[in-house]
Amino acid sequence: MMKKLLKNELTKTLNYASFKVIMTLHFILFLMVIIVASKIDIAVPGFSMRNLFRFPDVWATFAWIASWFNILLAIMVIVLVGNEFSFRTFRQQVINGLSINDLVIGKGIIIFFIALYSLLLVFVLGSVFGIIFSHNFELADLFSKSYLLAVYFIQAAGYMIIGMLFAIIFRNNSLSIIMFLLYFIFIEPIIRRFFSPEVRQFFPVKIISHLTPPPEVLAIASEKTMENSVGTTNFDFESIGLIPHQLPLSVTLLLAIGFIALFVFLIFQIMRKRDL
Amino acid sequence: MNEILSIQNLSKNYGRIKAVDDLSFTVERGTVYGILGPNGSGKTTTLSVITGVLHPAKGSYRWFGNKPGKRERKRIGSLVETPNFYPYLTLFQNLQIAARIKNVQEEDINRVLGVTDLLRRKHSKYDTLSLGMKQRLSFASVLLGDPEVLVLDEPANGLDPEGIAEVRRVIMSERDKGKTIIIASHILDEVEKVCTHVGILKMGKLITSGLVDKLLVMDRVLTLSAPDNTKLKEILEKSGLVKNIKEDVDCITATILSETEPGEINKYVIEKGITLTRLEVNKPTLESQFLELVREQN
Repeated sequence: MMKKLLKNELTKTLNYASFKVIMTLHFILFLMVIIVASKIDIAVPGFSMRNLFRFPDVWATFAWIASWFNILLAIMVIVLVGNEFSFRTFRQQVINGLSINDLVIGKGIIIFFIALYSLLLVFVLGSVFGIIFSHNFELADLFSKSYLLAVYFIQAAGYMIIGMLFAIIFRNNSLSIIMFLLYFIFIEPIIRRFFSPEVRQFFPVKIISHLTPPPEVLAIASEKTMENSVGTTNFDFESIGLIPHQLPLSVTLLLAIGFIALFVFLIFQIMRKRDL
Repeated sequence: MNEILSIQNLSKNYGRIKAVDDLSFTVERGTVYGILGPNGSGKTTTLSVITGVLHPAKGSYRWFGNKPGKRERKRIGSLVETPNFYPYLTLFQNLQIAARIKNVQEEDINRVLGVTDLLRRKHSKYDTLSLGMKQRLSFASVLLGDPEVLVLDEPANGLDPEGIAEVRRVIMSERDKGKTIIIASHILDEVEKVCTHVGILKMGKLITSGLVDKLLVMDRVLTLSAPDNTKLKEILEKSGLVKNIKEDVDCITATILSETEPGEINKYVIEKGITLTRLEVNKPTLESQFLELVREQN
């Protein structure tokens, strides 16, 4: 059954022109941003932006840059789910013999594959750039922060699951996309303002987007390297008050997984309760 | 187990509007059950509930004696409301998706496209089809896997006369194979021609049901004229072959009793010395017949 669900989702998705366009766009934009970013350098002795592209920091850098495009992936999922409502094909598939759970699982499979694809994209491009920029590295360096790839995978899946939730609530592509963007850009940030800084960091968008925080540029750039063996003391953003205190990654990750589980539960509940 | 579908006290409302109101009926194996009713009488809602798309507000239904689930739905070929397909996929890809869900071999796709005369368009995108072709594709999808039960919602919708005749021919051949068929329609003629049983819905309620032969007996109306219409009228009144005799400006209309053949009337009046200059058999318009039936039941 799973195999058939997968085949059907692939037929629907891979033959969809908008999907091809958005995924190509996603690839090109990501590639362009990392190429441009890798060319930036600051002419301050003791600093090297190139450090951001060396193992193991390249994983943090690339996961962060890739996370900018998660919104694009989420919008793709909104369109894929919204289409099933507007073409009335969710209905038809139930009539033909799927259960409501099958419908949700089918879309879950696609989300899994899109997240897996972008994980591989980050992994392949990260490896290429890492090899180019690192003069000599050991395998241990390569893998020491590679768990960030898994974190990125969960984040990308999280964005898409939130997208799916919006698509299921509004059942209309344009409305879902607008509400999704408004929620990310305005609604949650405004609501957060009503709470104390300690509480603010527990909101879902905040949590999920903080899975891949921006790399600590100054600290990394000032690390000792082959070129600037002089070295300077590492900067710490938090200690100099440039960025607010953040939850440790492990806590953020657990909370993010909790939120994702909650959204998945809501998706199943809404789909079961409402008529198609 | 001869009971294919049984519906018990089914109700469904949209807000305050009762689309289906305490509906109960049973469909036996091998029958063709027509659900007849004007637009908005709850036909599509009923079919949407029994095909798993809508949750009933009250009541329940059983397929093949079981609680309904996806296993039951795979045994049923259903066409509910409009054709629902992915516009950017080809006919073949669209049917592939349906075939995988129903556990039907892909080879069957060519067969059903052939039956519905769409084989030529197999690799066209769905959104390049005409309305009638879309409806035929829905029909092809219904026939996938040769299901034992067909549920058809207005199968003739959007088809040209040729298409209607074609669909009717397919339905009849399925019926002759012993399939159980449930058809919702507002076209009396359609129901009369293909159904064995009929249930008449009005405002979500089943107002009457039974065998088509008993429920939808059609009175035929004759239009006759002769050189002397007054004399003709007298003779007809005594004949006992017709009723409701009325004299019009230049003709006489009468309702022919169901067991009588129009030829018998001609023969009878000739024996009485009258030559008819005109003899027409008219069916009453189906709509008027239906409206009468609905009115009677109120």
